[in-house]
Amino acid sequence: MYSEKLLSVLVAVPGVVVLMLSLSWLFGLTLAERTISRVTKAVYALLIVTAVLLVLSLWRGHVDSVTMLAGHWFTVGDYGFDVVLLADRLSVPFALLTVVLVGIVGAFSVRYLHRDPGFFRFFLLLHLFTLGSLLVFLAGSLDLLVAGWELVGITSVLLVGFFQYRRDPVRNALRVFTTYRVADLCILIAIFVAHHSFGAASWAAMFRGTWPEAENLMHGPGATVLAVLLVLAASGKSSQGPFYGWLPRAMEGPTPSSAVFYGAISVHAGAYLLLRAEPLIRSSMVATVVLVVIGLGTAFLGTLVHRTCADAKTSVAYASQTQLGLIFAEIGFGWTTMALVHIGGHAVLRTLQFLRTPSMLRDYHRLHAASGGNLDATGSHYETMLPVSVQHWLYRFALGRGFYDSVVDRFVAAPVLMVAKLLGVFEPEGDPVPEERVEVEKPVTVEVL
Amino acid sequence: MNELFLPYLTAGVATPLVVAMMLPSRCEGRGRVTALMAAGFSALCFAVGGGTSGGVEVVDPLIPWLNSGPLTALPLVFYALMTVAVLLMAPKRDADGSFLAGVLILLGGTSLANAAANLGVMTVGWWLTLVPFLAGMFGSRAGMGRAVGFQVVAGVLLTVGVVLLKVSGVDGGLREGGGVALGLLAMATVLRKGVFPLHAGTMQLFERGPLLPAGLLFNGHLGALMVARLELEGLTEAGRMVMDVAGLVALAGALLAAVRAFAERKPRRLLALIAVSQASFILAGLATRNMAGVTGALVHWMVVSAASMGMACVLRAVEVRVADALAPSGPLGLAVRAPRLAVFFLVCGLALIGLPGTLGYCAEDLLFHGALESHPLLGVALPLATALNAVHIMRMYGMLFLGVLPKGVPNVPDVLVRERWALSAFVVFLVACGIVPRLLLATAVPAAETMHAGEEVRSEK
Repeated sequence: MYSEKLLSVLVAVPGVVVLMLSLSWLFGLTLAERTISRVTKAVYALLIVTAVLLVLSLWRGHVDSVTMLAGHWFTVGDYGFDVVLLADRLSVPFALLTVVLVGIVGAFSVRYLHRDPGFFRFFLLLHLFTLGSLLVFLAGSLDLLVAGWELVGITSVLLVGFFQYRRDPVRNALRVFTTYRVADLCILIAIFVAHHSFGAASWAAMFRGTWPEAENLMHGPGATVLAVLLVLAASGKSSQGPFYGWLPRAMEGPTPSSAVFYGAISVHAGAYLLLRAEPLIRSSMVATVVLVVIGLGTAFLGTLVHRTCADAKTSVAYASQTQLGLIFAEIGFGWTTMALVHIGGHAVLRTLQFLRTPSMLRDYHRLHAASGGNLDATGSHYETMLPVSVQHWLYRFALGRGFYDSVVDRFVAAPVLMVAKLLGVFEPEGDPVPEERVEVEKPVTVEVL
Repeated sequence: MNELFLPYLTAGVATPLVVAMMLPSRCEGRGRVTALMAAGFSALCFAVGGGTSGGVEVVDPLIPWLNSGPLTALPLVFYALMTVAVLLMAPKRDADGSFLAGVLILLGGTSLANAAANLGVMTVGWWLTLVPFLAGMFGSRAGMGRAVGFQVVAGVLLTVGVVLLKVSGVDGGLREGGGVALGLLAMATVLRKGVFPLHAGTMQLFERGPLLPAGLLFNGHLGALMVARLELEGLTEAGRMVMDVAGLVALAGALLAAVRAFAERKPRRLLALIAVSQASFILAGLATRNMAGVTGALVHWMVVSAASMGMACVLRAVEVRVADALAPSGPLGLAVRAPRLAVFFLVCGLALIGLPGTLGYCAEDLLFHGALESHPLLGVALPLATALNAVHIMRMYGMLFLGVLPKGVPNVPDVLVRERWALSAFVVFLVACGIVPRLLLATAVPAAETMHAGEEVRSEK
């Protein structure tokens, strides 16, 4: 009972904060930076304490998992959407990691974004992201997971386009959003496959036992399709395999959001999904092979491209992708505990690296000076074992970032655009748009409107 | 059938029509206030009428051709409230007496069609909604030939279909309705809703017509109402086949419209395609004939109406501030100057494509389950179309609100007080009902249950 209360507090608090901030905005209240800062610090302090208490209550009670039915969101006929929360040995570490790292990034952002016109917007989105992440990690079913999954996606995109007065962030945000939507399609269809083939999409109905000893209860072609769809959905969130191109584009956002999204939490949501569905993936050879190939392929590509990046954040992004690829492969090989430890270490390290990127040159010079000017160049070890022609080819390949954007533009975007234009035969050609009466050059006043 | 204590339905339908006739063509702020009061009174009448009916079908005591039931009680109130919001949002340059009267006639016509006890009265309401456009009450009809033509053809098809049903000797009933008559009704529905590929009229109406009245006409969803009524009445095997075909056309149309939108750059046309695509889900949901699908369709009806109308209101507000918004050559970057307009637009747009926490999420969750239950393979078209529409909404948002503010836009006011009221109403409805959807579902489920019960009886037979 105590654990259940803690579980509901963990999800409800960020939700209430988002609602309060939104309503204050709607009623025209302008919150001072100091107020937002205090609210943020108080909220994350509360969340961290709650998460720690949850860990302690599970540990002291020798309980492997706690499931809580928070209510029925809606029910129609035989179909209902139950809000079921789950705390177990997989979800609690992720939840704890989330509140700690977002809390750190929140505290960092108070100074980093001081006097930025988007200060309020950033913190509203940060709290919304926390709500989404906690829903993903504490969801007791795929249905609820996808709700959090989409909240994480939209907040991520809005933060990529945070500097909305510049053209590139806007363009890249749209690209990231498009990739997300395509990948999210996989998880949506996966939910329907789960309902259609197995009559439920809750973890309890899909697996017997608690993580990591859970057993898969789904078999047959439907299970294979479901497993492959989940692998693809996770690839989208973690920028792997066919969705490999969006992570570097997401670096247009403010550094704290890059840290929390693309170093700490958001990119690991895909790995979380895979860990949760690992018994299902393990039972399907096809899904396992797809997962390992995607993971290792991305890791190889990521480490190549990372070496040719000229800016710090993009370089860290590709390095992050490489590690995520390895995590994917570990899950594919069934090394779940190792993958979980890897995720924890990786999230903490990347958060630190991202937060330090603005002062990376200074750090380097300081380290250089501390070592007496004898800091050796790193890297370029294994490449030298390859023939020179292969080295050149790999260099060009890495410089073109695997030619991913060109391939997508030529073989996906262009055909879709062509079909879209062809479908225009059903519409008349648009005439020139009629002129408006108010001239743009003149200031538009309230009286005119 | 129960009878209402007072003629709430007659009052609700007649008030806007009478006030529309009394409004002088040139009136300033007082005209807007009068129109607002008429639409508000209409909403109140429908709300009281629906509230006292206790969720069962009730007849108006004064005019027995008007009734209100589980299917129409909510749309009647909702549409009247939406008209109030549009009247509040209408910019000064639009809101002359003729415009206000036209909007009130639209309200009267749509309410009449919703409250109609038979297809004949519904046809009258259907035609009444076209009167302001045919009479040029919203300004010149130049360049709107195809838009008006499509609507007139839809009206003619509906009229011929209803007459055919009447002369077939079954007193306007639908159980024995012939395939031809039902085919005509289905065709009228597809044309009215602008289902792809017969969407050219809707596109032109949005692009060259008055945006707010066009949105109101579109969001009356009389086509969907027609299908829902036919399903509610019960159809013959032939009739069901016709409606199945219409549902599949809508399903494919939703996807094709979403693909087509990739080639669009003008905000109005983009909005039209998004609205057409998302509104096609309603027909597809009704055609599933299962509880989840039909309930999802009825809830989605409200979502499409509120969200697309909210987006249209913001777009119109942007157009009167920046003329470039009609065909922007690049991003307008208005979020810097008008952040509230930007947020209202984004929330409405995201609700339309089913962001969790909004009513759109509940509607689409139910719709997808229903569609996949009926057509496991074709049902995939719905999430796919939604995914594509989400991209278009972000494109549109980027086009209007993000990017570098052009030099020609030195200063534009953010949302005005009256605009804030209207847009807040849209957003609060979409979010509050998304967090607590049970209240809205309580009104949609009885209608879906009635349809589903009829379907189960037929299956058993």
